[in-house]
Amino acid sequence: MSKTTFAAPRRISRRGFLAGSAALGTAMTLPAGAFAQQEGQLLLWLPGGSDLFCKIHTGLLEGFSTGAGLGTATTVCGLGQDTEFTQALIGAITAGNPPDISMLWDSPVSLGAQGAFMPLDDMMKDSKIPIDTWPAGLLSSCQFKGVTYGLPVTAGVYSMWYNQEMFEAKGLPSDRASFPKTWVEMRKLSKEFTVWDGDKLVSAGFMPNRVPETMAIWSALNGGMMFDEANLKYQIDSEQNVEMMNFFLEWLDEEYKGDFNLVDRSGNFLDGYPNPTTGMGPAFREGRQAGMQSGSWLLGDIFADPVPSFERWNLAANPVGPSGSASFSGTWPNWFVIPVGSKNPQAAFDYLSYLAIEGSVEWYQQIPDVPTNSQVQRKAPAGLVEKRGQEVADDITAFLGEQAAVVTPMWNSPVQSFYTDQIARAVEKIYTKASPVKDALGEAQAATQAELERVLAG
Amino acid sequence: MPGKSPSVGAAPPPRRNRKARRGEARAGLLFALPWIVGMTLFVAIPLVLTFYIAQTKFQIVGAPKWVGLQNYEALWTDPAFWKSAQNTLLFAVISVPLKLVIALGLALLLNRATALSGFYRTVFYLPFLMPAVAGSVVFMLLLTPNAGPVNIALEAMGLNPPDWLLDPKAALWTLILLSLWPLGVETLVFLGGLQNIPKDVSEAADLDSPKRWHKLVWVTLPLITPMVLFNLVIGIIYSFQVFTQAIVIGGTTGTPAEATLMYMVVLYRAAFRYFNMGLAAAMATVLFVVVLILTLLIFQTARSWVHYEGGER
Repeated sequence: MSKTTFAAPRRISRRGFLAGSAALGTAMTLPAGAFAQQEGQLLLWLPGGSDLFCKIHTGLLEGFSTGAGLGTATTVCGLGQDTEFTQALIGAITAGNPPDISMLWDSPVSLGAQGAFMPLDDMMKDSKIPIDTWPAGLLSSCQFKGVTYGLPVTAGVYSMWYNQEMFEAKGLPSDRASFPKTWVEMRKLSKEFTVWDGDKLVSAGFMPNRVPETMAIWSALNGGMMFDEANLKYQIDSEQNVEMMNFFLEWLDEEYKGDFNLVDRSGNFLDGYPNPTTGMGPAFREGRQAGMQSGSWLLGDIFADPVPSFERWNLAANPVGPSGSASFSGTWPNWFVIPVGSKNPQAAFDYLSYLAIEGSVEWYQQIPDVPTNSQVQRKAPAGLVEKRGQEVADDITAFLGEQAAVVTPMWNSPVQSFYTDQIARAVEKIYTKASPVKDALGEAQAATQAELERVLAG
Repeated sequence: MPGKSPSVGAAPPPRRNRKARRGEARAGLLFALPWIVGMTLFVAIPLVLTFYIAQTKFQIVGAPKWVGLQNYEALWTDPAFWKSAQNTLLFAVISVPLKLVIALGLALLLNRATALSGFYRTVFYLPFLMPAVAGSVVFMLLLTPNAGPVNIALEAMGLNPPDWLLDPKAALWTLILLSLWPLGVETLVFLGGLQNIPKDVSEAADLDSPKRWHKLVWVTLPLITPMVLFNLVIGIIYSFQVFTQAIVIGGTTGTPAEATLMYMVVLYRAAFRYFNMGLAAAMATVLFVVVLILTLLIFQTARSWVHYEGGER
């Protein structure tokens, strides 16, 4: 028979206080695994995004879990973007308490190759989403040495955005077919729109690229590549890439006074969003920039504040460089992975199958991240239909689908972040004239190749 | 006994006294125990682990693999390591003396007894309470090239202001300038020293020479040299570890053109962006050794220029 006893209230002794402190300290240092997730209950982590983004994913997971009889599902939103999110995820994996599924906004190759994510190839074989239902260029962003570590369920697809009204005001044709097909044509056209008032850039045509993440697309457009995955060799300082950067540098000198600082002082000509630091509005939406390269995510944001000063814009294929022969697109996917240590790997994969086909349609309807699996029947985003009409929305949706099928491999290196930083460093040195093109690219090549070999060794 | 006086100090203490002292020592140890446990868990063990990880290939996921001195060799040939070391050294060499001079100047002003002394002291300490990230963002907005109030004001005066944080030639100097902003702690330390100067010494100095700078150089400064030493050592340690402002302003690549690439940023990105814990630990070890040597050197020279009341320490 057990007996419950109640101790008489006592004053806290020094020893008692210290013992209590020690016990509390020990409890606080317990591994997170002590509070591990339950089997049969899916846990999804999202790196960030808007409230709507979180709501969509929470709804999709709940719907799937209920339908599959899995019980309660949990979606954790907004855990921080970029490095902070990866740190949290790695921390959870090493502590043995990871989520069952996680979205990533950075390539899963690097951590997958180190054993952080489950290989999906075996699960894909007899599933609804076998390997051959994914565009090869896109899937390569999740693969290393033939092993698939994640799925690019949806993706922002890069293409050229242009202001049709600015084209028409100059008496130029504004249909997609008439858009410049080569860099030379685009540079020539760009001059038509570029107006300076002293050192202030009033309006611009197109800009030489300076976004490190998209350099792989421009390299492919010029017949080159940044990373030769088959031979595990970087090609950053290849002839095509040196030619590309020289082309951009000459363009900058000729049309933009050789100084991106002057451009940046005049407005945000970099992308279609307000600059979060300076508060400067996007020149494209302000009707001060004829065109730019951007991802399809802008389809969802372009109608938000600041509302464009024009109504008609369109998308076109990326033009081809002097040494290139075909147009390519590029993507920034929303990757999904199943971390090693997931308590429900099969259920997690089943959810990915659902998300890739049925879920991504609903997702695209509300936030235009393009579904990438070839079996998906895409429907135009509701917001786009409302603003531009069914015909234009369908046309843009079909165009993005075509572009998603011609993506160049990118995000496929086990040292992706290191490579991106090295490219950013080289591009800055080139544009600020701190280093000649060949030297800057050569330094990036040497450093990145050395890092790749270090990671691959052992 | 003649010729042998009883020595009080040598006499064994009564048993009760010894017991009481032992009990006191035990109690002291118990009170210090939480700190000792914390120090061991969060400082000593990580320190030893850092020395160990520095000699391994460790990517966080998976077990560390012994590689000997390879990480140090990799550092030797890494341009980012040298560039960040150069930037950090320049930052330290310029910002630490500047901070000391300005904090001393502020402390001398705050030491004057006025009706608003307390208010001014609070005002000068307040910036220290603002999170460094928030402070950095505020400065980024203030220094925005075209729309920032600083450049608008300078242009209104007919000056041609620089692109503070965009021009590679100006960015590091801007970072140094920003480091001078929260000077509350240094100023308070100096102020404490100034208020400890005995009144009679101060008055005697006033009588000896009517020139204020004579008093400052020959009386005030020598008497606050322990505070100068403290601020110097802490300043050097902090300046070598400058991180928050650098990463908020320059990101992990030290934009523009690596002008703001600081040592701790390179260390951070090696650890948490590239997951190269071995290299990051090697960098931490190098930094530890450099700061330790500098601190020891300062303490060595301090004997000749730091004056403690009541004699040498």
